[in-house]
Amino acid sequence: MKTSFQSPQQFFRQRRLRLSVVLIILIGIYVTSMALVNFQTWTSIAKIPAGLIWLFHNFIPTERSISYLGPILYQLWRTLLVSISSTIVASLFALIFAILGAKTTTPSPVFRIVIRFGASLLRNIPVVAWAMILLFSFKQSDFTGFLALFFMTLGYLTRAFTETIEDLDAEKLQALQAVGANYFQCVFCGVLPEAASTLTSWVLYMIENNLRDATLVGLLTGTGVGFLFDYYFKSFRYDAAGLIVLLIAILVILLELTSTQIRRAIA
Amino acid sequence: MLKVIQLDKTYGSNKHSLKNVNFTAQPGEVTAIIGPSGAGKTTILRSINQLIRDDSGQILLDGQDIRQANKAGLRKIRHHIGMIFQNYNLISPLTALENVLHGRLGAKSTVAGMLGLYSNEEKTEALELLDEVGLKEYAYQRCDQLSGGQQQRVGIARALMQHPKMILCDEPIASLDPKSTKIVMDILRRLAKDKQLIILINLHQVDIAMEYADHVVGINSGAIVFEGATKTVDDDVLQKIYRQTDDAKTVVSANEN
Repeated sequence: MKTSFQSPQQFFRQRRLRLSVVLIILIGIYVTSMALVNFQTWTSIAKIPAGLIWLFHNFIPTERSISYLGPILYQLWRTLLVSISSTIVASLFALIFAILGAKTTTPSPVFRIVIRFGASLLRNIPVVAWAMILLFSFKQSDFTGFLALFFMTLGYLTRAFTETIEDLDAEKLQALQAVGANYFQCVFCGVLPEAASTLTSWVLYMIENNLRDATLVGLLTGTGVGFLFDYYFKSFRYDAAGLIVLLIAILVILLELTSTQIRRAIA
Repeated sequence: MLKVIQLDKTYGSNKHSLKNVNFTAQPGEVTAIIGPSGAGKTTILRSINQLIRDDSGQILLDGQDIRQANKAGLRKIRHHIGMIFQNYNLISPLTALENVLHGRLGAKSTVAGMLGLYSNEEKTEALELLDEVGLKEYAYQRCDQLSGGQQQRVGIARALMQHPKMILCDEPIASLDPKSTKIVMDILRRLAKDKQLIILINLHQVDIAMEYADHVVGINSGAIVFEGATKTVDDDVLQKIYRQTDDAKTVVSANEN
């Protein structure tokens, strides 16, 4: 079908028009939803300075807070270990599931469907819900937190790994088939080396992510640094709670910097 | 000798289908398959080592029908058929040496292959083959750090590691500059002569086919329209091979200039 040729002026006028329509729709959605939940934009914005002042006044750590440093660092260390170990264990399982479930390497479409569905289920239950569900079976312990993070990570990484493997150039695997390599040889000599650096990036990202989540999970399972935060907070020791927030932020940033370095080294 | 008899393959769309394909390729010779894009050149090549399953026909390599082989048999046959590709298809984070050693996978036990347990003889041979294609000093470099021409030569060394009777070359020079093209084509011709290999090449470039091939197979819309010695290819033959496509016009006018 050939239409009459469009002038560039017409083309850009139409494009601007389309953009404006999208913008108006977005503003409309915002206004409607704010009205529905009775959210008053201006009065809320006006309250922000006072809120911030209170926050800084109470949560800034003082010299007094230094005495809490020992127990905080100890719990932070445990939380870090739980998030690293849950990520590592989950990534091993995720790798197996991803190889069985990825379009390019699946032994049977049945695996693919089951694994996709299972991973999606695990992933779409929030980590907080996992923690609360598992709390009944495994009580307040580090292991409960470990499991909650494990399930969520397993779901998330299975999906990420599957997509990584599916994004690999299928022709490269065909080249190994052409050599006479069998299934396992193709996976070990082709898929894994090709995907290794991307897979490692995902694992590092999940460790960072899980450290943040571990804090939240700890709040619920009564373990780690999350529990300590909750404890100080409820006993009005806001400066100590503030110190925890600060230390978590520092640790997450350090973790991010380290993983950036590792990623650069293996890329 | 490779003998393809009455090979048929139908896809949903007519493109890339094969209709009653017959041709032979001799050891010691470079055989070029030429034809317009979408004529089925790649389909033919990939049918020969059964990366693509065809519908019917016979593919005889030294009298043995590849199509009749079971899974283990096919693996053994593939081990003796090297293949190189337009995009080289090396495992890019691995070194040149490791990629060459992959040529042994078809002959190794599953576990030894998986874990990359190669014998000292195999390692030495891989290095010698890299030397043969002029890349000895690049043996421990990652393949994604090599140029296109170098990667293609690693691909050839991988194929040689298979101790092949035949090397299938799927548009081996389509991504290469003229200098690398010459290096790669010279190596392929030398291999055909020195090791008495069957070299079967898909080519877009008619002039390269004319220069290097001993034997030419012309294909148009999935059917063989010409087969014969390179010296018997003239403008009429090329017209027949490239008829009724845009490619043909380009090629013919390029030849005239």
